[in-house]
Amino acid sequence: MIVKDWCSYCGECAGVCPRNLITVKEYSLEFKDDECKDCSTCILACPISALEKE
Amino acid sequence: MIETDVLVVGAGPAGSTAAKHAALGGAKVILVDKKSEIGSPKRCAEGVSKKGLKKLGIEPNPRFIAKELDGVRLVSPNGTDVWMTSEEIELPEAGYILERKVFDKFMAMDAARAGAEIKVKTLVTDVIKSEEGYIVTCESMGKEFDIKCKILIAADGPESHVGRWAGLKTSQKAVHMESGIQYEMCNLHFERDGVIEFYFGSCAPGGYVWVFPKGDDIANVGLAVIAPKADKPAIEYLDDFVSKSPITKDGQAVEINVGGDPVGGMPKKIYDDHIMVVGDAAGQVNPLTGGGIISGMTGGMYAGQVAAEAIKDGNYSSKYLKKYDTLVRDDIGHEIKKYSIVQEYLLTLNDEELDEIAAEFQNVNFSKVSTTQLIKNLIKISPKAALKLGKIFL
Repeated sequence: MIVKDWCSYCGECAGVCPRNLITVKEYSLEFKDDECKDCSTCILACPISALEKE
Repeated sequence: MIETDVLVVGAGPAGSTAAKHAALGGAKVILVDKKSEIGSPKRCAEGVSKKGLKKLGIEPNPRFIAKELDGVRLVSPNGTDVWMTSEEIELPEAGYILERKVFDKFMAMDAARAGAEIKVKTLVTDVIKSEEGYIVTCESMGKEFDIKCKILIAADGPESHVGRWAGLKTSQKAVHMESGIQYEMCNLHFERDGVIEFYFGSCAPGGYVWVFPKGDDIANVGLAVIAPKADKPAIEYLDDFVSKSPITKDGQAVEINVGGDPVGGMPKKIYDDHIMVVGDAAGQVNPLTGGGIISGMTGGMYAGQVAAEAIKDGNYSSKYLKKYDTLVRDDIGHEIKKYSIVQEYLLTLNDEELDEIAAEFQNVNFSKVSTTQLIKNLIKISPKAALKLGKIFL
C-alpha cells in the first residue's frame, strides 16, 4: 500500500480493515501487505484519499 | 517486566475516565497512549451536553470550555432552516463546545491525581493472554518492554487493535464507520452567536455537515459520510460546502482533523476474561449524532469501577466482568439502539423528503432542544417516520 505524505494517521483505515492488518503509529502506518486481500475498504474509507494500491 | 493491576490502553476521555475510576477504587493503574501529546490532534467536533458532564461529575472549567451553546439550527438541502435558540424557545441546559486538546489532558491529569501512572508516546504492539491476565508489549522512544496486568482495558479508539487481538469482535463494518473530516476555521460569519448548525442531505451522504462555534468568528466546520454511500472522498464534500456556504465564504482553516466515527453500536461482547473494551473501541457512540465523548466516558467510568472491584475481589473472570456490560448497556445501550434505528430511517430519506420535513418543522412549537424531542416532532409531522419510529419514541 502506498501511503501518501498527507496522511494524518487518523486510524480510519485500521478501523475498517476487515483483517486487522493496519497498525497506526503516531506518525506512520504499517500494513501487513502479504496478508492483504485487496478489498480496498481502507482506500475507500480514507477521508482524504491518502492511500493507494501499489 | 512491569506489573500492574489494571492497564488502560488509550488516554482519550474514555480511557482516562476508566483509569481514574480504577485508581480511585484502589487499583494500581497504568495508562498508556501512543501519542506524544494527549488530546492532540483532535478527531472530534468537540460538542458535549451540560447534562452529560454533570452526570460524570465534571465541573466545567473555562480552560477546556471553548463556547457555551445557545441552541441549534437545522438546515435542509434547499436551505430551509429551523432555529431552536433562546430567541425561539425557553432553552433547557444545552451544552458546550470543548477544547479537546485541553480537556483530554485535564481528564488524564484527573486519572494521574487519582493515582494512575501515565506513559505517553507508548504504543502497544502486541497482547498475549496468560493465566494471570495479559502480557502487553509496548514500544516507547526506541525501547520495547512488557507490562503484565490482571485487567486490560482497551480504549484505543475506532481503530482498536487491542480488543481484536484479545479475540473480541469489536471491528466495525465499513457501512458503520463514518468517514469524518473537519476544518477549524476563523473569519466566519454566523447569523447568531453560540448556535450549532447541522446541514443534511446529499451534502454529506450517510452523515451531515456541522458548524460548531468555538469563538466569535471561529468554528469546527466538518462532516462525516458513510464511504460506501459516497461517490467521492469526504474532503471533497467538505470543500464543496466551504466554497458555497455564506458562513465560510471568508473562512480560513487553521487546522484540519480527520478520523473515523464508529456508528454501528456496541458489539455483542465488549468484555472477556481479564479484559474490557470502552469508548469508540466499543462503539459507545450515538449513531445518530456521532457524539461519543459522554457515552465513552460513561463506559470508561463503569469499566474502571468494575476493574477496581474485581481487583479487590481477586476475580477477573468474564462472568465477573459482565457486570461492566450490564451497567453500560443499562445506562446507554438502549439509547444507542434507539438512535441506530433513527439513523437507518434518516438514511432512507432523499433531499426532497428532508426539505419537506424542514418545511413542516417550521410550524412546530418545540418545547426543548433534545434529540429525542426532535424525533418526537418528526414523528408527528411525517407518516413515514411515525411508521418506522413511532413505537420506539411515543
